[in-house]
Amino acid sequence: MLSSFIENMGLLCSRHRGYHDADAEENAQAVEIERRIEQETKAEKHIQKLLLLGAGESGKSTIFKQIKLLFQTGFDEAELKSYVPVIHANVYQTIKILYDGSKELAQNDGDSSKYIIADENKEIGEKLSEIGGRLDYPRLTKELAKEIESLWKDDAIQETFTCGYRFQVPDCAQYFMENLQRFSDVNYVPTKDDVLYARVRTTGVVEIQFSPVGENKRSGEVYRLFDVGGQRNERRKWIHLFEGVSAVIFCAAISEYDQTLFEDENRNRMMETKELFDWVLKQPCFEKTSFMLFLNKFDIFEKKVLKVPLNVCEWFKDYESVSTGKQEIEHAYEFVKKKFEELYYQCTAPERMDRVFKIYRTTALDQKLVKKTFKLVDETLRRRNLLEAGLL
Amino acid sequence: MAGCAGEGGCPSDYVAVAISFLSLILLLYRSILPFVIHKFSRTKGSGFWIPVLQVFASFNLILSIVMSVDLLKFERRHWWQSCYVWAVWIEGPLGFGLLLSCRIVQAFQLYFIFAKRRLPPMRSHVCLPLFLLPWFAGAAFIHVKQPLNNHCHMGAQWVVPVVSFHTLYVATLVAFTGAIRHIEFRFNELRDLWRGIVLSASSIGVWIAAYVLNEIHDEIAWLQVVSRFLLLVTSSILVLAFFSISSSQPLLSQISLRRREPLKYETMGQALGIPDSGLLMQREPSQAIDPDEPLDKLLLNKRFRQSFMAFADSCLAGESVHFHDDVHELGKIPVNDSVRRIYMARDIIDKYITAGAPMEVNISYRCRQDILMTSNLAHPDLFNNALNELLQLMKMNLAKDYWSSTFFLKFKEEASMRLDAHEMEPMTGWNFSPRLSGVRGADDPFHQEYLTKDSDHSSGNTDAT
Repeated sequence: MLSSFIENMGLLCSRHRGYHDADAEENAQAVEIERRIEQETKAEKHIQKLLLLGAGESGKSTIFKQIKLLFQTGFDEAELKSYVPVIHANVYQTIKILYDGSKELAQNDGDSSKYIIADENKEIGEKLSEIGGRLDYPRLTKELAKEIESLWKDDAIQETFTCGYRFQVPDCAQYFMENLQRFSDVNYVPTKDDVLYARVRTTGVVEIQFSPVGENKRSGEVYRLFDVGGQRNERRKWIHLFEGVSAVIFCAAISEYDQTLFEDENRNRMMETKELFDWVLKQPCFEKTSFMLFLNKFDIFEKKVLKVPLNVCEWFKDYESVSTGKQEIEHAYEFVKKKFEELYYQCTAPERMDRVFKIYRTTALDQKLVKKTFKLVDETLRRRNLLEAGLL
Repeated sequence: MAGCAGEGGCPSDYVAVAISFLSLILLLYRSILPFVIHKFSRTKGSGFWIPVLQVFASFNLILSIVMSVDLLKFERRHWWQSCYVWAVWIEGPLGFGLLLSCRIVQAFQLYFIFAKRRLPPMRSHVCLPLFLLPWFAGAAFIHVKQPLNNHCHMGAQWVVPVVSFHTLYVATLVAFTGAIRHIEFRFNELRDLWRGIVLSASSIGVWIAAYVLNEIHDEIAWLQVVSRFLLLVTSSILVLAFFSISSSQPLLSQISLRRREPLKYETMGQALGIPDSGLLMQREPSQAIDPDEPLDKLLLNKRFRQSFMAFADSCLAGESVHFHDDVHELGKIPVNDSVRRIYMARDIIDKYITAGAPMEVNISYRCRQDILMTSNLAHPDLFNNALNELLQLMKMNLAKDYWSSTFFLKFKEEASMRLDAHEMEPMTGWNFSPRLSGVRGADDPFHQEYLTKDSDHSSGNTDAT
């Protein structure tokens, strides 16, 4: 069924293509559907459709959660508690990845001695690795948390963590490992931050509707925001959402220039993002759609760029670092930004040049920053609407 | 007689050309008809283009023979009638070589999948050129050495290696097929392959004899005429028979058009005869669903699975549930029935696992590679890791939203209706006849809807494969 959807992908953007070969019955059905769609679009005309797009793990869902927190009622206790299994699963999966990774490095790496786990931790490691491969994880008890902590503090695991780019270690690893004691509490209720850090690979499509009412209560705009999965197999579903989009929020995790894809470990994530952005920009449906590029995960980027040179990524190989410290970070960021800007202008046909394109530096975990950014996005979109209505 | 033996255009030659022409028409008819009748959507990959290449090669082979052995009388010689174009390049690499290489590739793949129980190490688009390479090399060599006389014939010292080269390919095909002979195939692949081989081997005997005589005894007129007649007629039959006896599977190949074959199956599960595959059974025990139970346990309940699948499809996340369903079916095949397991496993891999598959699932690179590199396609735990990953994915993404969705409400409503029906049964007393309960089942509006929905799913899947 899904696949037949996919076969019809192109139809969404070109409804005028007609139904020549359809049977009469189907035709009547189609007319009815058309009528309903028209009705609904009339009713929903004032609702602005926003899409969150981007490659896997670029921070789309974190932005989505932030919007929920900021402009909806947020998370109640039950909802917060529903994240406990997710967080625990993240913990178990992370430690498994690290332990298995260190074993792999100890076997294959040239300088293997530093990846050999201390004998007293080996047993724990095996046990945790087994748990991490299970379908149902046990409750995170104090004892388990202690064991995980001692394994985490093992030099070999730490050494493996620094080569995290070689494995699929989630960004939240450090945060979770440092808060193990709190998570193992019997009455543990996740905080807002815990929920934001929690990593859930999205599949399919999720949506919310919200109205960003600020302090001055002026904005009456209603938005419907769609969050999607970012892995390759998920992207083919995006096309179902492409019609009538006011703005695309494209997330690019700029910290991932040295990492490979979850779904294809021979592929650099930044190169994938580049290609993906290119593809999205060229979609015929987005002729008039505004583009908001979120250069996300700046917090990780500013730490990483001082350790890992930007030019390890093929796209940035002409980068030359100029200085150190804060200046270097700014320089690197501006370089990346310029690359994306160039890409945008390369991929945008001259007749589409009047669509809005803005770049924002974001850290999806930072609530204040996301709030500020979203206000700017809101303002830009309203301005754009007024312009189109000829009022400005 | 003497004149036409040298220049072509004897009556027997025209008969032979007519026969070959007829066989080509039959060939086209057989290859195109299934598409026209069944309105198949074209399958991607080797299942489609190997038969196409075979048709192309057959055409080349017949044409090259017509052109190179003086069957037709031409007033003038044109440059494109060169012996080297027809008798060497088109007959060899593009004709006989291509035709047999296609067949060998098919046998080679069957050999790996069923005898070695792993996916073939090379894709067929890599494998085929490899098998063809010696043909091109040979043709180039002959082209350089120029051994042909003006009748496109070569001497005995050339004919022997050329003929043994042709025979070598037939022998390779026989060898690969021999290696898989002990496997009991579900869809008559092997029987077809053997029939193809027996037929082609016997006609090749005649063919080779005719070829050798035609090449060597240039001077005996009657032998020329007879041998070229045999040459063309046997190769026409060969080409036609070779194509008609296709080694095919339902769902994967569309070439076979045999009436005795049962109707198209909707899923591989049904084609393999897995019990109660696809259809929702009437007498499924209706038990209450407890949302606190782990998802993998809940998914074992068929009705729950249907409802959950419909929900996941509506969120554009259905492929994980479909995958779960198919792996569940695979689990129903006994472990010692490795052939059926391999069919099902291959179907699952083609549908969900390979990068770019029609319903590709969201699993990690390592997990995918582990499956694709497996050393045993019949292994009972082949998909376990992928299933674990996907169950986690479903748990975190879909499960939470499902409990508050209309799909769950509908499911609950339906379950309670069924429960009521069960409680009423002892009182009414006449309900032990399965027929009556069947009638009552049809009254259930939700049940009907699920049935149609279910068949929708399946047909959608078939389109995709």
